[in-house]
Amino acid sequence: MFDRDIWQEIFHTLKNNKLRTFLTGFSVGWAIFILVMLLASVNGMQNGFTSQFNDDATNSIFVRPGTTSKAYGGFEAGRRIQLKNDDFDYIKSSFPKDIEYISARYYSRTTARYQSETGSYGVQGVHPDHQIIEKTLITKGRFLNEADVINKAKVAVLGRKVAEDLFKDEDPLGKFAEFNGLPFRVIGIFTDEGDDNAERIIYAPVSTYQRIYGNTNDISQVLLTYNPTYDLTKALEFSGRLEDLMKRRHKVSPEDQAGIYVWNYAEAFDDISSFSAVLNAISIGVGFLILIAGIVGIGNIMVFTIKERTKEIGVRKALGAQPKQIINLVLLESTFITAISGFIGLIFAWVILSVIGPTINTPAFTNPSVSLSTVITATIILIVAGVLAGLIPAIKAANVKPIVALSDK
Amino acid sequence: MIEIKDLHKSYRMGSNSLHVLKGINFKAEDGELVAIMGSSGSGKSTLLNILGMLDVADSGEYTLDDVPIKDLSETKAAQYRNKFLGFIFQSFNLINYKSALENVALPLYYQKVGRKERQEKALSYLEKVGLKEWATHLPSELSGGQKQRVAIARAMAAEPKVLLADEPTGALDSTTSYEVMDLIQKINDEGNTILVVTHEEDIAHMCKRIVHLKDGVIVEDKKIEQVRAQQYV
Repeated sequence: MFDRDIWQEIFHTLKNNKLRTFLTGFSVGWAIFILVMLLASVNGMQNGFTSQFNDDATNSIFVRPGTTSKAYGGFEAGRRIQLKNDDFDYIKSSFPKDIEYISARYYSRTTARYQSETGSYGVQGVHPDHQIIEKTLITKGRFLNEADVINKAKVAVLGRKVAEDLFKDEDPLGKFAEFNGLPFRVIGIFTDEGDDNAERIIYAPVSTYQRIYGNTNDISQVLLTYNPTYDLTKALEFSGRLEDLMKRRHKVSPEDQAGIYVWNYAEAFDDISSFSAVLNAISIGVGFLILIAGIVGIGNIMVFTIKERTKEIGVRKALGAQPKQIINLVLLESTFITAISGFIGLIFAWVILSVIGPTINTPAFTNPSVSLSTVITATIILIVAGVLAGLIPAIKAANVKPIVALSDK
Repeated sequence: MIEIKDLHKSYRMGSNSLHVLKGINFKAEDGELVAIMGSSGSGKSTLLNILGMLDVADSGEYTLDDVPIKDLSETKAAQYRNKFLGFIFQSFNLINYKSALENVALPLYYQKVGRKERQEKALSYLEKVGLKEWATHLPSELSGGQKQRVAIARAMAAEPKVLLADEPTGALDSTTSYEVMDLIQKINDEGNTILVVTHEEDIAHMCKRIVHLKDGVIVEDKKIEQVRAQQYV
């Protein structure tokens, strides 16, 4: 295969038939180009979808209480379920392996005042993990920490809009704002990529708010993220277990959809990933069909070449060429054209993608690109394709009867 | 060297069968220069093809250098052709994109001779046919006589037991024909066995023995006084 003479012959043939070589190569190069571009486009769409959902951690689960819709365990339907601190602790201790971050959320509203400025804002009493679950970006100062929660510290993290409204041009860090008359020290400012309303809220330690406003153990929601190594099936299985447990704990019928909601982000992703999987499959299918056209083109040209070279093959056989040597020659030639032109298509697509790709950044389409595995797969496909394209012509060539080829009639 | 016994060959032409060789018995010793003559359709080319293992007889025996040639696979036939036989064709059959040297080296390539040795050997054979200076030229840059001389060098390069020439002068003018025959005679003088198929009387008489074929049988087989081609060159 790495015989210098064979390669010399291949280069000879290709050099002597430049147009033919180009036309054949073009069909395969074009096919690979389209295949790669299609795959990259699907990848771009996938990236687009993913970034749309990037506001929250993609492995998050929300547990929210509701009102039962079915009678169960001796209780009437229509019972309001209330989550308590116990529930939070219970979830946290029940799934130490499954949970990555966990936070409770206690909703409240407050009238906040700083000097002459006042405003009414939503307050969320949360745990420190909340920052990671909600992907809250701190621009100044810090987020809440464990000590704040344990000490029931009167500290607050303000949304960018809240800070602007109350403090105008002043630096709010370390200043005290009054929430319903009680002074809270501002320890941080955050922004949120979501929208302005997401920046019109205030975070405070959940324990502080439970004590000050109602002396309660109630919580509104539990947010958590699951172990990021989990795949979709494992994630859904985990949220299923969580839901079963919470329903049993609160004596909600397992069939009751309204008593307790466990919302797993993975479900939404499930839909998206199956959608892009279908797109992927379609583009691979289309790419392959185009590639087949290219392969048939090469096969066609090779058959023609063999016909043209019948006499030469006959001479070679008369001089002692064995059938397998002839097959080798033809296969190597077709594989060579396929591989080289395919690579050119591949490189061309890759260059275009790496130049244009990063500049594309619309909501539905972000950074189309191809992975190394795609490139490797394409290469293997190319070589297989080259062999396939050359196979029939090669066998045809090997079957050339020297006597027929050499007859001068 | 060559021995054939009761060789039969027929071709199927539609529903008819054309009996081309009707029991040929023939023997050639080492170092002979035999002309096989006959009009077109006499079966001389078929005989040569069978001798050259390019075609297979229907029945009969064929022994070449004490090796029975029978039921050969394609690969085996290729090996035997390469080892035993050198072909010289009427239309030269040089590979047109290869230089004279590469053409001569081709049988050696199929013998798996190393590149360097191959080239040296090919060059020495080109020298032998007087075309050393033309080694790098393509066949299209050579005259008919030169092409045939390259072809002869190619046939000899593999050092075969027998050279088979099918109308070697058929495409050449008479002066060039004699030059080629002179070369063939000289190669024969060195002890090589050569079979020449021809329908030209003067060419046949430059061999040492003439076998006359007619309608698929040998009608005449005689040793003759060789006419040297040298005197016409």
